[in-house]
Amino acid sequence: MSTTFLPCGVYHENYKQDHAWWQTRFIKSKMFLLLVSLFFIIPRISDSYWLSICNQIGYTVLGALGVQLLIGFCGQVTLGHAAFLAVGAYVSTLLVLEFPWPALLVEWGLAYPISIFISAIVAGIWCVLFGLPSARVKGFYLILTTMAAQFITVDFVITQYVSQIGGRGQAFSLPVGTIKVGPWVIDSDIKVYYMMIVLVIVCVVGVVNLLRSRVGRAWVAIRDNDISAEVMGIDIVKYKLLAFFVAGFIGGIAGAVWISNLAAISPEHFPWFWSLWLVGVVLIGGAGSIHGTIFGSIFMVVVMELLQMAVMPLADTYPKLLLDFLFIKESAFGLAICLFLIFEPNGLAYRWWQAKNYFNLWPFSY
Amino acid sequence: MYFKKIVTGFYVLLLSVLLGAGFVSAAGPAKPINVGALNDMTGATSDVGRDYALGIAEAIHYVNDTGGINGKQIKLHQFDYGYRVPEALTKYKLFQRLKCVAVLGWGTGDTEALSPTVTKDKMPYVSASYSGHLTDPKKTPYNLFFATDYSTNARASITAWFDKKWPKHADYGKRKPRFACSYQFSSPYSSAPIKAIKDQATILGFDIGPDQDVSLFAIDTKSQNLALKEFKPDVVWHGNTTMSVSATIRDAYSLGLGADHMSNCWGFDENLPKMAAKAAEGTMGAAVCAFFGEKVPGMDKVVAYAKKYNPGIPASKRLIRTVQAWGDVLILQEALKRADKAGKLDGESILKLGFETMNKFDIGLGAPPVTFTATDHRVAGIVPVYEIKDGKFQLVDKVDLKGRWPEKWAKEWIGW
Repeated sequence: MSTTFLPCGVYHENYKQDHAWWQTRFIKSKMFLLLVSLFFIIPRISDSYWLSICNQIGYTVLGALGVQLLIGFCGQVTLGHAAFLAVGAYVSTLLVLEFPWPALLVEWGLAYPISIFISAIVAGIWCVLFGLPSARVKGFYLILTTMAAQFITVDFVITQYVSQIGGRGQAFSLPVGTIKVGPWVIDSDIKVYYMMIVLVIVCVVGVVNLLRSRVGRAWVAIRDNDISAEVMGIDIVKYKLLAFFVAGFIGGIAGAVWISNLAAISPEHFPWFWSLWLVGVVLIGGAGSIHGTIFGSIFMVVVMELLQMAVMPLADTYPKLLLDFLFIKESAFGLAICLFLIFEPNGLAYRWWQAKNYFNLWPFSY
Repeated sequence: MYFKKIVTGFYVLLLSVLLGAGFVSAAGPAKPINVGALNDMTGATSDVGRDYALGIAEAIHYVNDTGGINGKQIKLHQFDYGYRVPEALTKYKLFQRLKCVAVLGWGTGDTEALSPTVTKDKMPYVSASYSGHLTDPKKTPYNLFFATDYSTNARASITAWFDKKWPKHADYGKRKPRFACSYQFSSPYSSAPIKAIKDQATILGFDIGPDQDVSLFAIDTKSQNLALKEFKPDVVWHGNTTMSVSATIRDAYSLGLGADHMSNCWGFDENLPKMAAKAAEGTMGAAVCAFFGEKVPGMDKVVAYAKKYNPGIPASKRLIRTVQAWGDVLILQEALKRADKAGKLDGESILKLGFETMNKFDIGLGAPPVTFTATDHRVAGIVPVYEIKDGKFQLVDKVDLKGRWPEKWAKEWIGW
């Protein structure tokens, strides 16, 4: 059921209407316009740079979606999600580069799509391993166990062992032409964009539908009060681990997709800071909202780029500004989180909700 | 509520002033040549990266002060990327958007990661990474640097030790010399010449011991040194940057390892004898140019510009890194000049009509004359190897790899 008020004069008469994705003609038009913008307008008006920004947003959405599911819907705080992105990226890379694929699959461009699916499953299972402590611990203790995922996975397993495959202990090079989807070689920002946008839509639709199901309701019950949930008959260990699996699965997809945007992959792509960043995205966007994940991702990526644009013209006057931009960027990230927690703890999604309600109820929005 | 309004008003005002100042300053004489620069001021290699970054800015000032590129000024877009590969990839795309004609890059990880992309985009990429993997134009045509590469330097260092030090050892003639490597396994920079140095050790007849994994951030390396002690190496090669190398050498000294030390060029600078003191005595390494302030042609400008643009940093604190930055800027300047003279300032022309027309081009600064050809981007085959004696750098030998192993140099050793 929609959490926003319906426009004046719109009434639901049955459950089908009440549970429909797009409930009014106006919403259908809006979504149609959104799809047209995503598939036709943005690719046409954006240059390579802006497309790469869009790809970063897509990557952030996919990464933060799992974090949102764990923190926002299941109440399991995670600070090690970059590890599962890394697992997805490395499994996909190794499969593409090292696995003896039948020639037919390579020719049809199926090796990479299959590798995305396999890497998502592996990342999901790996995530479940680190979700196991959630059966016994919660809160700060769970945060620490999820942080362990980052250090064990990226700093130990991948850095010390997986990166050594091939003999030089360095980045796996992904030469142009390695990543192929069907007849398309993914070798430009626009191709990455289309692949990214399709996967973001599929994952968002998948998660939203999952949240509308029995599973989603169980997660929300666990988030709100795990003891009550258990009393109601929900197997909380099972559903918590399922949440970890789905979060890892989406993280795996994010990692596997991200390699199409890179020329090489190394453990440096998945620092602990990225896990923190994804939590920041969820906090700024709004915990417990899929819209919030998307808004938070757009905000974090675009604001940082706008900040860079504001700083660049100043470089002639203050030449050290560009060199110090990394400080500025990271300070802005910290400041944004502080300001949102103080002034808008429900995140951007709450503002969106307020704005929608205002227009839906207009002229009786009081 | 009142406080909220004041805070919001303050930020809006601040942003407006900054943007306003930016747009005012952005207006000016037109059409400079845009060059991007990626530097590490805050990351894992910032111990050497900071001085290099200062050197890049100073050298670009020098180029602009002395007529630029045939009268055109260079506009430098210099960013700190914190030695993070993803940040480097993002910044590279920004450089493209800013229509940069070339990039002055930094680390091996990001340079190698970007290599297929710069090849596709035909973007000359002059890096501070001297990885041997970037020297074969068949694979990486747009990657260039003014210095001898890590693999060549490593081969030269171990050869110099074998020629000059090993004959003086008590066990000379009785057994094979023992050799081990100490570096961060996962760092593309540190691991870049490992295959080459082990190959050279095999050629020279060393016993090769187990590698030791030492972090670029290491401050305590006792466990690695204790592991090395079991193998009893005669010489250890260090692949990290100065801070980590000095920590390893200090621990080796205090634990009585008893081995000689050699270091890759980014671990071998004026800070090493300062940080490791006595422990650094005898450490050998290939220096790709003169140390800061040495009496060589061109150094007076380097010192003068360091003083002019960064007067707060005394000359005694400046490093060879500044000189290395000048080396990369000077070859880029020459390539841009040649391409511009030919009337084509695009990537392919900068490579073909600029870099690849340099034949024993002398940049001074104690660096070898630079030669790039369409089939080989290794600048020189003769490498000077230095040793620290009484806290000073002294030339031990000039190893002529090209002359000593001409067949291997020409056919086998390129590109790794």
